[in-house]
Amino acid sequence: MKRRDILKGAALAPFSAALLSSGSGAVQAGSVQAKEANMAQAQGAATGKAGAKDLPGYAENFLTTDMDGVGPDGKPTGQKATFSGASKADAKAGQAVQNQMALTQEEQDILNGKEGKEKARLMKILVAYGNAFGAEKLVDLGGAPHSNMYVGTDYMGSMIKMFDECAKAGLKAYAPYTVNPRPYDLYNVNNNPGDMELIYDGYKLQRDLDWVHVRLGAPDLNLRSCACYLDEVGNAPKPGTYVAWAESSAVNFGNSALGLRTNRNGAGMDLLSAILGKAPLFGLMTDEGRKAKWLVEIKTSKEPDWGAVGTGIGTKVVEDVPFITGIEKYFEGGKVTADNLHLLKAMGSATAASGAVGLYHVEGVTPDAKEKGRDLLVEGYQTYVIDDAEQERIIKTFPNLWPEKDGDPTAVFIGCPHNSYFEIIKYGRLITEALDKAGKEKAAIPIYMFCVNKVRDRVIEEEGELASKMKRAGVHVTNMCAVSYAGMKGFSERVRGITNSAKTRNYSTIRYFPDDILVKAIVTGKIPKGA
Amino acid sequence: MAKKSFKGRPLLPGNLEGKALVSKQAFNTSASYLENMFAGRTDSAPCTDSANKDLYKKDLSGAILCTTQTVGSTMGAGCIMGMNDLGVGLKAMLFSSHIDSIAAAGLYMDDIWNDRRIITVDLLGDEFLEAVKTGDPISIKEDGTVEVG
Repeated sequence: MKRRDILKGAALAPFSAALLSSGSGAVQAGSVQAKEANMAQAQGAATGKAGAKDLPGYAENFLTTDMDGVGPDGKPTGQKATFSGASKADAKAGQAVQNQMALTQEEQDILNGKEGKEKARLMKILVAYGNAFGAEKLVDLGGAPHSNMYVGTDYMGSMIKMFDECAKAGLKAYAPYTVNPRPYDLYNVNNNPGDMELIYDGYKLQRDLDWVHVRLGAPDLNLRSCACYLDEVGNAPKPGTYVAWAESSAVNFGNSALGLRTNRNGAGMDLLSAILGKAPLFGLMTDEGRKAKWLVEIKTSKEPDWGAVGTGIGTKVVEDVPFITGIEKYFEGGKVTADNLHLLKAMGSATAASGAVGLYHVEGVTPDAKEKGRDLLVEGYQTYVIDDAEQERIIKTFPNLWPEKDGDPTAVFIGCPHNSYFEIIKYGRLITEALDKAGKEKAAIPIYMFCVNKVRDRVIEEEGELASKMKRAGVHVTNMCAVSYAGMKGFSERVRGITNSAKTRNYSTIRYFPDDILVKAIVTGKIPKGA
Repeated sequence: MAKKSFKGRPLLPGNLEGKALVSKQAFNTSASYLENMFAGRTDSAPCTDSANKDLYKKDLSGAILCTTQTVGSTMGAGCIMGMNDLGVGLKAMLFSSHIDSIAAAGLYMDDIWNDRRIITVDLLGDEFLEAVKTGDPISIKEDGTVEVG
């Protein structure tokens, strides 16, 4: 499966938003060199008067994307995913055009302007959007919103201005909400003039966007995280709650592990729904839309490689819902807890990255599956088996995109989606114990661990000694977005990164390895031969 | 050439005549407007998506784009709005498939909030995209009928 360079590109400067990609990973140019060639072509595409400035180097990563519908042979693949989580591959014009949602009197009043012109326009957009996707009605939202509007780039100006007008009109989200991590960290990661130049040039509207969020209902930057459902962040509504979240990994986890009901929303629709407190009922919010078209049987002889399995599932099912069996034993008592949620986080985020999966079921574990079991499978479902051989095959599709393929790694990236407390402690102990055993205090290469500030603070409070050792070992803890960093200009040329995240791998040149290999590389600075 | 008529779903209706600009593969919104998004270009919108052989280097400004759907960044909605801000947006988007959620969000937000309409018709069918070629005369009616030729 090819990779999503668009996300890298988005990450480069103002495009980290691109990492909230809508499709599965497929690069047209499978190498840095090919992308550079494409970039040269793109630069040369300008005819006549040029823009005010040259095309910045970071733009190159927008040149390729996943699911652009072109296969390795260069021919259109005919993919028809809507990226909402609701497949409309069989939709016909005649039937679709008739859809008109039934509105309550309250909703009609809002539409008619009784709560102000801003809300009227927001409602008009929501109704039109819902009608386009066959929604029968709007539903009231509960819990709290989660937004992926986190990049303050110039081209997002129009959308930022729209929500600024809403904030100026005194509108707020129906509840305090959470937002994706920031695309940069000037203290712990990007603390150098080169990065800062890119950031200050590329994210000129970041301040404006942050101010919009503060006024609409997300004032605390210490809660910025893609893993909004962690205890430390606290955005984990009860099963069955309707929400309108954005951020593919949060939607994926929320629908699946928490039993929430949300479609995959793009940036803008998340905040719009949050202000109205309503969302159109279609797709993954409905019983019908949550049915599984795939039975996925995990038959690995040992604990599966969660990222690899997720990548395989996403690639196979694309936008459909999979019902997964064979992994119940890794969730004691069938419960998703603070100590095991990272397994679903790793697998699920990979399905959302390599495909467009908004919901999966795990037999005996996830809420929908516990309630309905295999009744969730549609008639005529397809089956996909992941055994040792298939898992190995999936892993072998991960290309080595380092410019110097045989070079040694130069940095480690752990935590995409953001690490849980359990993961920080787990990797902190793995790393420091391995260093102790090797008689070393400092890692051979820098390690970046991504987590929300609240998790960082908890580690310091509860495991202060470990936190100190991690710091001395060269671990940089940051609350920024991992893929944003990987997408910065020049990153792929100067950094040979390794990671535990299949999602990061999907969106960058960073290579994916199991924990034991990562730890060895951290201690020695080298990838063991044959890994 | 003989006229061919197709009936789609008018999401953002309007009447328009012009020439078609066709992409047989899905349109990557963000990748196509690099010059405009990042180099401040406002006089035209040369498609910068070198992976799209149908559109690469062609001027997207004011075009009637015929394609399957859009793909790419989920910030693509913002890109659609941004291009209209710069005055280089499309005049119409004609989709053979069901519209995707990213394009839908951007098109509706800009139409309703900023009163800037890109005429949009979807579900025209695979036959539509097979029939239409870049440069073909095209006529869009507000009931979702699209005539090619």
